[in-house]
Amino acid sequence: MTEVSGYESNEFSSMSTYFQIDESWKLRTGKGVGVAIIDSGIDGNHPALHGKVKESVEARRDNKKVIFDLTEIGDSAGHGTACAGIISQIAPDAEFYSIKVLGAGGLGDGQAFLAGLEYAIIKRYRIINLSLGTTRPQLFAPLHDLLDRAYQAGCIVVAAANNLPHPSFPSVFSSSLISVSKNDETDAFKFGFKYGEVIELTAPGVNIRTAWLNNTYKRLTGNSFACPHIVGVIALLLETYPSLTPFQVKSALYSIAEENQRKHKELESEAEKAQE
Amino acid sequence: MTAENNNSLEEKLRSVIETVDIANALIDPLTKSIENLLHISAAQMNSEEASVLIRDGNEGDLRFISAIGKVAHHLINMQIPAGKGIAGFVFSSGQPMVIADVGEEDSFYAEIDKQTGYSTQTLLATPLRHKGEVIGVLEYVNRIGEPPHESFTSAEMDDAAVFAEAIASLVNAYESAKLFHDFTEKMLSADQDFKFAEVRDWLENLRDSSEHKETLDLAVLVREISSRGEEERRMCVRILESILEYADIKAETSYLNF
Repeated sequence: MTEVSGYESNEFSSMSTYFQIDESWKLRTGKGVGVAIIDSGIDGNHPALHGKVKESVEARRDNKKVIFDLTEIGDSAGHGTACAGIISQIAPDAEFYSIKVLGAGGLGDGQAFLAGLEYAIIKRYRIINLSLGTTRPQLFAPLHDLLDRAYQAGCIVVAAANNLPHPSFPSVFSSSLISVSKNDETDAFKFGFKYGEVIELTAPGVNIRTAWLNNTYKRLTGNSFACPHIVGVIALLLETYPSLTPFQVKSALYSIAEENQRKHKELESEAEKAQE
Repeated sequence: MTAENNNSLEEKLRSVIETVDIANALIDPLTKSIENLLHISAAQMNSEEASVLIRDGNEGDLRFISAIGKVAHHLINMQIPAGKGIAGFVFSSGQPMVIADVGEEDSFYAEIDKQTGYSTQTLLATPLRHKGEVIGVLEYVNRIGEPPHESFTSAEMDDAAVFAEAIASLVNAYESAKLFHDFTEKMLSADQDFKFAEVRDWLENLRDSSEHKETLDLAVLVREISSRGEEERRMCVRILESILEYADIKAETSYLNF
């Protein structure tokens, strides 16, 4: 049983428990949980993803607007398929909604990115996987606004941190989304939470084996692949506790990570004792 | 053609040719510097092949402008269509990526390997950014030695980002010089009024003339000074402005004397 509590406890305020979650979420499959992946598309014909992609749309420019059409194109680069593959390893019954904004012919990436996120919010997908970001300052404000809208709509946005030494949006925003960077772990349930840092969550992201184009699998490294690990975990949590809000999900992740770290320390000290 | 017309034509052409040649003189050392940086960084990364791709047009297509390794000469000027492969993804997402095992039949835009006969196994691709905008992609392919190659690491991904910053500033300078070059070339070819044989002869004469050579030397010198640092650049601008001022005063004086 994990007690989901406030972030801080010190001599002035003690831990206050919001709610409790038991371990049963780890046995779930993400059934019925909708996950939007804003990326290069998803190859729905891949054996690992067959029948799991419920809808695929692609960005298209119509005058100055970006509109989304149903598409059969699948994935143009492999990245979106890789993200879906990772989520599917953790939550095999999650439902995917592909919003293709990368590699769509002739579109400025920034505009399509914003439009894709807005589309996902309007559709109120429960979880939105954003394994991409931008460093362009002119996108700061519109993205910030969209993330607030997502939060208010109850959409849980999970974003990958920039792999480069520059802040990227939206991963550096704090309150309205969950941001993830990679660690060397392999177990998706052993994610970490670094309270007080810009990117709070860490999850497996080094040499991750996942689905790729043409029915193949690849080993990939990058924060992009840490992000879907957390998305998978959230899908399990949401199947178990469907009414969790974005804030509650983040609190739950924090508490689970703390418990992971506590257990890890216990195991370490036990191992040390055994050696003595 | 009247004598007066000829004069203005000559003047116009002279300035165009000078601009083209200056642009050429600017591009060449830049591509060499990019290549040098590729050599240094590839050695550091223990990588067999390295290449730089830049955007080609506004549709997101990419083109190789520099490469080192076995098939480098094949790669130059080859294109990757928008959104295709790893490079296309890294370009459109602005995020670097490491792929441990690209595999045999592929997705990473296998067309390039097909045409060059090279066998890509492991790959690191990172975006080239200038002022927050992605302008190209830097790639490192395979390790030095025999396959199977070990994957690039998470730490090497960070190292590559540092090399990418240096290469990006060179690529940006290259793009500006190239733009200048293409523009003047276009201007020259678009001017249908010129008699081409006549123009060609005239051009050859001009390119041989010592005055033109001196102008080129000056341009190269200015570029060299500019590369030394900000202080040198400022000093150079100030000196050149003083010379111009002096020349203006001289011109004014001679006009008064006239």
